[in-house]
Amino acid sequence: MGRDLCFELTLFAAFPTIPVLSTTSSGVTLMRLISLRTLVLHCVWLTTTLALASAAAFGQSDGAAHHDVVIKNAIVMTVTHGNVTNGSVYIRDGKIAAVGETVNAPASATVIDAAGKYLTPGIVDSHSHIALDDDVNEATSPITPHMMMKDAFDYQDKAIYRALAGGVTTSLLLHGSANMIGGQAVVIKHKYGAPRDEMLFPNAPRSIKFASGENPKRVYGSRDQLPSTRMGNFAVQRQALVEAQDYMREWDSYNEKVKRGDKDASPPKRDLKLEALADVLRGKIMVQIHIYRSDEMLTEIAMAKEFGYKIRAFHHALEAYKVADQLAENNIAIATFADWWGYKQEAWDAIPWNATMSMRKGVRVAIKSDSEDYTRRLNQEAAKAIRYGGATEDEALKMITLNPAWIVGVDDRVGSIDVGKDADLVIWDGYPLSSYGVPEKVLIDGDVYFDRSQPGLGTTHYKEGE
Amino acid sequence: MMRPSAISYQLSSRCRFLALLGMTTLFVTGSAVAQDKPVQDKAIVLRGGKLLTVTHGVIENGAIVMQDGKIAAIGPASSVNVPSGAQVIDVTGMTIYPGLIDSETQLGLTEISGEEMTNDLVEMSDEIMPHMHTAEAFHAESALIPVARMNGVTNAVVAPESGDTLPGQDSFIQLAGANATEMLLIRDNAMPLNFTGDQRRNKGGFGARKFPSTRMGLAAQLRQAFLDAQDYKMKWTDYERKKADAAQNKDKDKKSGALPPKRDLKLEALLPYLDGKKTIVLAAEGPSDLQTAVSLANEFKLKFVLNHISHSQPVLDYVASLKVPVIVGPIYEAPKEDERYDAVYSLPAQLYKRGVKIVFASYSAHNVRNLPDQAGFATAFGLPYEEALKAITINAAEVWGVADQLGSLDVGKTANVVVANGDPLDVKTDVKQVFIAGREVPMTNRQVRLRDEYSKK
Repeated sequence: MGRDLCFELTLFAAFPTIPVLSTTSSGVTLMRLISLRTLVLHCVWLTTTLALASAAAFGQSDGAAHHDVVIKNAIVMTVTHGNVTNGSVYIRDGKIAAVGETVNAPASATVIDAAGKYLTPGIVDSHSHIALDDDVNEATSPITPHMMMKDAFDYQDKAIYRALAGGVTTSLLLHGSANMIGGQAVVIKHKYGAPRDEMLFPNAPRSIKFASGENPKRVYGSRDQLPSTRMGNFAVQRQALVEAQDYMREWDSYNEKVKRGDKDASPPKRDLKLEALADVLRGKIMVQIHIYRSDEMLTEIAMAKEFGYKIRAFHHALEAYKVADQLAENNIAIATFADWWGYKQEAWDAIPWNATMSMRKGVRVAIKSDSEDYTRRLNQEAAKAIRYGGATEDEALKMITLNPAWIVGVDDRVGSIDVGKDADLVIWDGYPLSSYGVPEKVLIDGDVYFDRSQPGLGTTHYKEGE
Repeated sequence: MMRPSAISYQLSSRCRFLALLGMTTLFVTGSAVAQDKPVQDKAIVLRGGKLLTVTHGVIENGAIVMQDGKIAAIGPASSVNVPSGAQVIDVTGMTIYPGLIDSETQLGLTEISGEEMTNDLVEMSDEIMPHMHTAEAFHAESALIPVARMNGVTNAVVAPESGDTLPGQDSFIQLAGANATEMLLIRDNAMPLNFTGDQRRNKGGFGARKFPSTRMGLAAQLRQAFLDAQDYKMKWTDYERKKADAAQNKDKDKKSGALPPKRDLKLEALLPYLDGKKTIVLAAEGPSDLQTAVSLANEFKLKFVLNHISHSQPVLDYVASLKVPVIVGPIYEAPKEDERYDAVYSLPAQLYKRGVKIVFASYSAHNVRNLPDQAGFATAFGLPYEEALKAITINAAEVWGVADQLGSLDVGKTANVVVANGDPLDVKTDVKQVFIAGREVPMTNRQVRLRDEYSKK
């Protein structure tokens, strides 16, 4: 779903509601509303929704029906089209159905009064290693693209809950940086308490983690193995990509033979490692690169061109400000820290103005956590962009919502308060871009998953002892 | 292109303020060394700002006079006399507050965490190392110090890392000065006693090969150290007594024959603490370690303040009954598995409610500049704002015995003064100028220079 469709849906939301309230089941009510409007607007997306909704009888796989929700009287920070003071958001079937000063919602909808409170999209953390039970690095070989982080995903990790309580609704769980080419990431929604598979972000694009610099050379160098230098790092990476090219050619040739009807063609042996890299070369997997120094960024850009793949984002990227023009030219985003520095040699030139300086040169900037701690308060980290370089409120907020959503490849579904997007929302008791704002409620797909006013953990889907 | 002060250019008064500062700071270049003379050479008056005095409320449209390194006058702008020849700086629209005090840092003990040769954080050859003096490793020219002070932190405790039970002695520093001697306001001001479980470096169950490998081992080792120190003290007292007796009997031409005991630096270092003359910083996290540590301290009548206690929520009434200040947190410490997400965030408020004096620390070197953010965040979980500010100013000054000189905007105190464009505890507030002992600190550091260098391109 692209921006254009969102725009269409916004127009659509402004249409007067035709209430069809013949039943108390919000699901049925909804379906009728949607069908009427679909006829009027020929909206492809809604037709799809309708089809899906009918098929699933408005039920999630856990059997719970989505409820209509209206959040009223909030200061709605949409990220894409400014703030609506005293605004409302209508959530239907887990999606944002309307945003504005007033919304037309059925009387049966649950109302959340957020008077004097702030409403933002759920925070997206584009660099996290939580919920992997320390299985972050398969540091036994510098090339492990066939590691699937999903296989290590520990959906009961309390870190998911603690991040949720800080307003995080989506995270990209990445392989670590021990290897030049690590494993493939898993994208989760922080539905703490839900079954494992419901926490996986549906149909999220695939991402793979590359690394560079000190970590690979330290890990393998300390074992007297290749790589122990930056030239070793890149040689290992290039070698793997060359092998992937050969592998891809073998398969392409086989597939060509099959297509021609060659009955004698025998398939090459499948190699999971090379298969994953071939998918990188085919552009089917987004490349996320752990990187610090600007010279290495230029080398990675050159290598990507040499092999014909695109780099989605540089992670950490503490020296991005030195080569921001080149990053912007190549449409490479950065997922960086607000002000971490000095923890190792390649972090020595880190400056807190990195985010804003890169942004002003046209780089898409995300502030990420890479930390079980910082993921709990990314709003404060984003606020630092206001201080260091004068980012506007929207720009700062974008760094923890829409921009990281783009890095993860889900910006068409989360990251802003726009009609048609997933209803992943945070109600803050105070201004979120400050030391003081704290989430009161966090909704994912229209369901409240965290409510600060609740006793115990404050979670709504989790029961002690489960 | 964009500078951190971009926001402030919207207000003309702020422009004036910055322009004035620009002129007066030209002659000072960046480094830990602000000037070679420790004395402020002319009086400076900050006029028109909102003064957060900490000890006597807020003065809107106030004025503060800094002279000879001290605060000479403070009050409403209309009633404060400007000394002749003073430089007057218009700080209308700005918030003025005392320099912040960080109650535990590793400033001057590290440069790049991952580079071993730049680290002098803790001596790990033994758990009992009270004769280590952070003052002797303190690197005054560290690039981290100008980064920290640019956000208004003017004073800090430098402590060794917590790997040892007794890792050595702290220093209390000022974040500007001609050299280490000038910056080290108090050497050996306190000593950490760590009992968090993390000191068990030889742990390994049946596989452990070296004593001590358990908490009981660490406690026994610690107890023995203090007993040895008591014994050592007795030997010296005994020797001094014999020597004195001999001196009295001089006319009888008799010598005492007593030889001085062999000096033992470790035991010697423990004596001021054993005598209750200096403060032990007693670190524990959970209730059990806390109570063990407190009984050890009480056994030897040590004077102590508490440190961390991040997971001692079940025994906060007990903590309050000890009637000692607590260096709390950091509140960013992760809660335990079964704890609510805000169990540690709300700890400062919980302690405050029970009448405990709290102070904050960054427990950091590179991130000292973020000290005020933590205080601000604690208010979101129930700590009153004034208390949060006190926890990084006057409370800290009291804990470290320097409240007569630091921690508030009061006449006679050292002129450590911060000028910022807003609320000191808010993460997005930008500090515009820092004064340490009445002198303008160069508002630059390695990061600012990199920013400016690459902004030109």
